[in-house]
Amino acid sequence: MKKYILAAGALCTLGTSAALAHITLETQEAAVGSTYKAVLRVPHGCEGKTTTAVRVQIPEGVIAVKPMPKPGWTLQTKKGNYEKSYQLYGETLTTGVKEVGWSGGNLPDEFYDEFVFRASLAADLPAGQMLYFPVVQECGDATDRWIEIPATGQDADALETPAPGIKLLPKK
Amino acid sequence: MNAAQSSSTIRMHTGPIAWLVALLVAMAVLAMPGRAFAHAALVATDPADGALLEQSPAQFSLTFSEPVSPLVLTLVRPDGSQLALTSFRLNDQTVEIDNPETLKSGTHVLSWRVVSVDGHPVGGSALFSIGAPSAAPVAGEAVDWTLRAAIWTARLFFYAGLFLGVGGAFALAWLAKDRRCGQRFVAAALLLALVAAPVSLGLQGLDGLGAPLARFATPAVWKTALETSFVWTVLVGLIALGLALLSLAGPPGLRKLSAGTALLCVGGALAASGHASAAEPQWLTRPLVFLHGTAIAVWAGALAPLGLALRREPANAKAFLRRFSRAILPVVILLAASGIVLGVIQVQEPAALVHTAYGRLLLLKLVLLLFLFTLAAVNRWTLTAPAEAGDTEVQRRLVRSIGIEVVIVLAIFGVAAGWRFTPPPRALAIAAAQPVSIHIHTLEAMADLSITPGHPGTVAASMVIMTGDFGPLDAKQVTLVLSKPDSGIEPIKRPARKPGDGTWRVDNLVIPLPGRWKARLDILVSDFEAVKIEAPIDIRSD
Repeated sequence: MKKYILAAGALCTLGTSAALAHITLETQEAAVGSTYKAVLRVPHGCEGKTTTAVRVQIPEGVIAVKPMPKPGWTLQTKKGNYEKSYQLYGETLTTGVKEVGWSGGNLPDEFYDEFVFRASLAADLPAGQMLYFPVVQECGDATDRWIEIPATGQDADALETPAPGIKLLPKK
Repeated sequence: MNAAQSSSTIRMHTGPIAWLVALLVAMAVLAMPGRAFAHAALVATDPADGALLEQSPAQFSLTFSEPVSPLVLTLVRPDGSQLALTSFRLNDQTVEIDNPETLKSGTHVLSWRVVSVDGHPVGGSALFSIGAPSAAPVAGEAVDWTLRAAIWTARLFFYAGLFLGVGGAFALAWLAKDRRCGQRFVAAALLLALVAAPVSLGLQGLDGLGAPLARFATPAVWKTALETSFVWTVLVGLIALGLALLSLAGPPGLRKLSAGTALLCVGGALAASGHASAAEPQWLTRPLVFLHGTAIAVWAGALAPLGLALRREPANAKAFLRRFSRAILPVVILLAASGIVLGVIQVQEPAALVHTAYGRLLLLKLVLLLFLFTLAAVNRWTLTAPAEAGDTEVQRRLVRSIGIEVVIVLAIFGVAAGWRFTPPPRALAIAAAQPVSIHIHTLEAMADLSITPGHPGTVAASMVIMTGDFGPLDAKQVTLVLSKPDSGIEPIKRPARKPGDGTWRVDNLVIPLPGRWKARLDILVSDFEAVKIEAPIDIRSD
C-alpha cells in the first residue's frame, strides 16, 4: 500500500508538470484496425491568452474521421488524398479528412475543454509504435504549436511542445 | 616684373619634369584604390580555429577585414613538417587556398602571412584537427627582434633624411639668405635617406616573407617588397630626394622650383602608404597625411639650417629668422590640425590611448610634441625679436634651443617609426566588430548564422535558411534560441523577422557572456511541421 502511495506521489510530481502543460489525448493507447475516439484535452491557453482555435493534423493511416461539433465553435475540415487506399467495411477509401479545426471559440486560460473526433485506425498501421496528431493552438495573434515529434531514440519528455500521440497496440 | 620673368623661364625649362612630378604625386595621393582599408585583421578561417574535422578538407579559406594579398601560406603537419600552399585564389576579402594533399589525422596548423593595402604584413595561424587532435605542431610566429630593429632604424633614417634633408633644401632655397650655412648638413641628410630608402624597402620584403636578415639580397624578398604599397612611398621619396639634391647643386634657376616640388613629394610619399593613409575616409586621410608630411618637412627641415646659420653668421641669419618666424605659425597650425584629425580617426576612443600599443606610442609622441611646442613657442615669442635685433646672448640661446628641438624632432621620428609594428585601434576595432558565423547542416535543413559583432553586448543575428540539400526553404517562421548551460544561462528565445532580402534577422539581441553558446534555430516549415537545428557558436571575449 505504502509502495503504491509513493509510486502515485512520484508519478504526480514527475508527470504533472509535463502532462498539465501540454495538449494531450485522453486515451493514449489503441489497437490498429479499431475505431478510436480521440479526445484532445486543452488545459490552458497560449501563455495565458484565451484559446480561439484548435487545429489537428490527421496522420496517414487514420481514416474515416468524423469530428464532433462544439457549441460556440465553427467546425471545419480539410480533405485530401490519402497516400494509398484503405479498405473499410468492404469500401475502398482514397480520400478523407486530413485536418480538423474548431475556430471562432472562446476558451479562457483558466478554463479547460475537450475537442473530440472519431476515426478508424487502419489495420496496417505499425503496432508497437507511436502515432502522433500534431495540434496547433491559436489564441488570437499568439500561437502554440504542439507539433514536435521525438526523433528515434529521443526522449519525448525532453520536448518543449510535443505533439499528442497514442501508442498503437496489436490488432485484437 | 623681374620675378615674373624668371619664373616663366623656369616653367619653360622644367615643364615636363614638373608635370611628371605632379602626376606622380597625384597618383600617390589620389589614385590609390578607395575601398574600405584598414590594417588587415583576420575575421574568419575555414576550418575554424580549433575545429575538429572528420575528413581532410579540399580547401582552406581565410577571411580578412579588408582585401589582402598572401605572401606566405604554410600548412604544418602533425609531425612538424611543412607544406607550402601555393595554389590560392582571391575572392574579395577571402583567400581561398587549395589543399594539395589528403591530410592524415592529427592536429594541423594553417599558418599565413599576408600584406594589406596599407603595406604592412600581418601573420597568424589557425589550428584544426583531422579525426582526433594530436599535440599541436610547433609553428611559432616568433618575433625577429634583429629584423625589427633593422626595420625601425632604416625607417628612422629614411624619415629623418627625408624631412630634414628635403625640408632643409626647401628652407635653404626659399627662406635662407646665405645658402652655404647648413648645406652640408642637408646634403648629408639627403644622402642618408638615399641609402635608407632602398634598405627600408628590402626590409619590408623580408618582413613580408617573415624571412631572416640573411636573406636580404634574395630576389623573392625584393619581389615581395615591390608588391607592397610601401614601394610607392620609397619611389616618391626618392624623387623628392633627387629634386632636393638638384636644388642644392643644380642651376640656380631651378633651385626654388625643385625644392618646392621635392617638398610636395615628401607629403606624397607619406600619403602613399601607412596606417594613417589607409584609414577611411580616404578622401580625407590621404590629403591630411600629405599636408601633415609637408608641414613636418617645412618645420623640421628649417631648424638645422637656421640654427647653423645663427651660430656661424648671425648677421646674415637675421633675414632667415624673420622669414622663418613669419611662415612657421600657419605651418604648425596645419601640422597640428591634420595630426589631430588623423589621430582621432586612428584611435577612435580615448581609452585606446592607454590600452593599445599604438595609443601608447601616440601618447609618447604627444608628450614629445608638448616639449617641442613649448620650446618653439618660447623661441618664437620671446627669443626671436631680440635675436633679430642682434642680441648675441639671445642668439646663442636660440641656437641651443633649436639644437634641442632637432633632437626632439628626431625622437618623434623614432616614435613614429615604431608605429610600423602596431595596428591602430581603428583596425583593432574593425576586427572586434566582425561577426562570428557558423554553418549548421542537418538532413532536414541547414542554416548560416552570423552574429554581429561577435562579442558580448547588443548584437544582431542574421540567418539564411536552406533545405538539407541546398534547396530554398520558405520557412513560415524562424526562432533563434541561444543558451549557455555551463554558465546557467537558460534559452534566450527571439523570433526572427524577414527584412525581405532572403535572410531572417534578430536585432537588439543581448549576449551577456563570451564563450561557447548553443545556438538553435526553430524553423517552422509548415503549419504542422517544424525543424530544430542546433550547433555551438563561439562568442569572442573582446
